[in-house]
Parts: sequence; C-alpha cells; structure tokens
Amino acid sequence: MNRLDAIRRIVPLLGDAAVVSNLGRNTYDLYEASDRPENFYMWGAMGSTSSVGLGIAMAQPARRVVVLDGDGSMLMSLGCLATVAAYRPANLILVVLDNETYETTGGQATHSGRCADLEAVARGAGLAHTATVTTVDDFAAALGRALRDPGPWFILAKVEQATSFARVPRRPIFIKDRFMAALGTTAG
Amino acid sequence: MAKTHAGPTETDPILHRWSTLVADVLLDHRVHMFGYVPDEVSGHLLRRLEAEPACTVVCCTREEEAVATVAGAYLGGKRGAVVLQTSGIGNSMNALGSFVVPYQIPMLLIVSERGGLGEFNPAQVPLGHAVPRVLDALGIQTFPLTPEAEIAPVLAGAAELAFATMMPVAVVLTTRLTGGKTLR
Repeated sequence: MNRLDAIRRIVPLLGDAAVVSNLGRNTYDLYEASDRPENFYMWGAMGSTSSVGLGIAMAQPARRVVVLDGDGSMLMSLGCLATVAAYRPANLILVVLDNETYETTGGQATHSGRCADLEAVARGAGLAHTATVTTVDDFAAALGRALRDPGPWFILAKVEQATSFARVPRRPIFIKDRFMAALGTTAG
Repeated sequence: MAKTHAGPTETDPILHRWSTLVADVLLDHRVHMFGYVPDEVSGHLLRRLEAEPACTVVCCTREEEAVATVAGAYLGGKRGAVVLQTSGIGNSMNALGSFVVPYQIPMLLIVSERGGLGEFNPAQVPLGHAVPRVLDALGIQTFPLTPEAEIAPVLAGAAELAFATMMPVAVVLTTRLTGGKTLR
C-alpha cells in the first residue's frame, strides 16, 4: 500500500486523537494528508517516537494516542515495546509504517525486509493486541478497531517507499505549543 | 570515603534523609512523572515516589527511552524527571540534543554520580567525569546536590529554572551525598 494513501484513509477516523509522527517521511505524509493541531511532528530523535507516544498516553489516559513510527526507528529502540507491554496504556496505538528501508537517508534496506518480523517482536515483548496489514482497507479496519477497543495496540503496516516531499514547517517550538494548546496542557 | 564503599542500605538513615528531601521538593513542584533505569543509589527515592498516588513511575529499558517518555508526558500535561546514572546520560544524548532541547521541553535529569570520589570501576570514569561538560555542550546546566543542607534550595531552584525557562536541567546525586554504589 502507498503510505500517503494509507494515512489519508485513516485521517477521518482519528477524531481528537493525538498523533505522533516519526521524523522524515512519516512526518511529511501526515502533514500532507492532514495538518491537525493534534499532530506532533518529530524532527529528530530517531528511535524515540514510540516512547514519546507512551508518555503522552500515560499523561492523557482519556485520549487516544496514535504513533506513526518507522521500521528503522522501531528497530533502533525495540526495548520500548517491552516497556509499553509492561505498563499497558489502553489508549496507545503503535503503528509502524514499514517500508523495509531507511527511506529518508537514501533507501538503504532495513532488517525488517530481510529477517525481522516486527509484529512477532512486539508479541514477544508482551503486547497482546497486534496485527500486520498490507492493504489500505485492512489498515483502516485495524486502526478503527484500535481506536474503539482497549489496547495497547501494535499495527505493522507494510507500505511502499516513495511519495511526498511536503514542506512541513521546521518549527519545533511552534509544533509543541500548538499541540499542547490542542490538548489543553499548556499550563504546565 | 569508607561510606562510599559500604554503599547505602534500606535502613540507612542518611539514605532516608536525602531521598525524602528530594522527593518532597519534587512533589512541591508538581513533578509527577518519572522515567528511570534501575540503580542502587536511586532505588529508595523511586520507591518513595511510587508510593505517591499522584506519581507515575516508569521503568524503561534505556535512558533515552526514559527521556522521550518523560518528554511525552510533559506534552500531555505532566511535569517529569528522568532518574539515571551518569552512564545513562551517554545513552540519552540524541533524545536530548535533537528533541528535548530544540523543542524546549523542560524536565529534570536526576543523575546519580559514577566515576568520581570513591569510584572502583575504571569503565565508569571517563563518561562520569565528562557528564557536566557534555551536558553543558548542549546548553544544559548541571548542579551538584551537596551538601545535604543545600538539597532543598538547589533542587527547588533547578525545578524553577527548568519549568519556567523550558529547558532540561540536571542535578547530580553525588557520592558524598548518597554514599555511592556498593562494590559487589
């Protein structure tokens, strides 16, 4: 499935869910599909995206939190899957948009295309609610269920590389301030 | 420095005193989210915080993960701190340098000291010694929590500095304060 098509398809399902996107193409495609104030765009910290989602989910248990991580970033920090499984925030949905490459750095292969089954890794880490999807329809169905039923969820979405070069504003503090205002957490 | 080699124990009144002081200041400043990688020195402090209903305490597999989790919690409205050893600062650099600092996400880094007075492990020395300079290179200020009488004002000042100016701020649990780690 095309990643931009996949993200466009799930946008109408999101409601007021917070969405955290991994640096690089996930951030570009989420921005192009729908620039919502509840989107938190990562510009750095590869390997930390799912953990940022975990922190938001634990602080905001009444709100759904969707992470759009990448296969390269997930492989960098597999330990965080065990942490998510240990604390089981029911409102957290980890999505790995797996194109089997480090697309932003030039398309080098990741191990997820060679040998590593990230859904099996997530299950092995202790996550009970997992899925692998390869079509836009199945992705939308899996995410819709995850937005309805208690998690935490892990959805491995196999996508093709390619697509957008959206001009996402590289303004970290603006992104943070807008996101926190949308969540009503600015008072700090 | 005999105390350093003996290390703290659960019944040690010194341990109870400093960890109680630290916990009280953190709670006074509404610091309620904690990410950590287990450490003998900070164990008692973490158990105290876990006993507080307002606190969420998350054991992470790596310090970088703790930094990101605590940063996420701040975005979600909870002030937080990462509790880690000096070696864990090494594991946290990219989350700090390419996320927490440029996004101006405040947090406390509560660092238990290795590599200084009383150290027995040569592998702990280079990074332990470098931590204040490494953090300084990212614009992160570091303050030692010694002596005990200065814990409350220094930690309170660090919390105010962090959450008012939107920056991570480090405080060091020195071996002079904590007694350091037991040689096992």
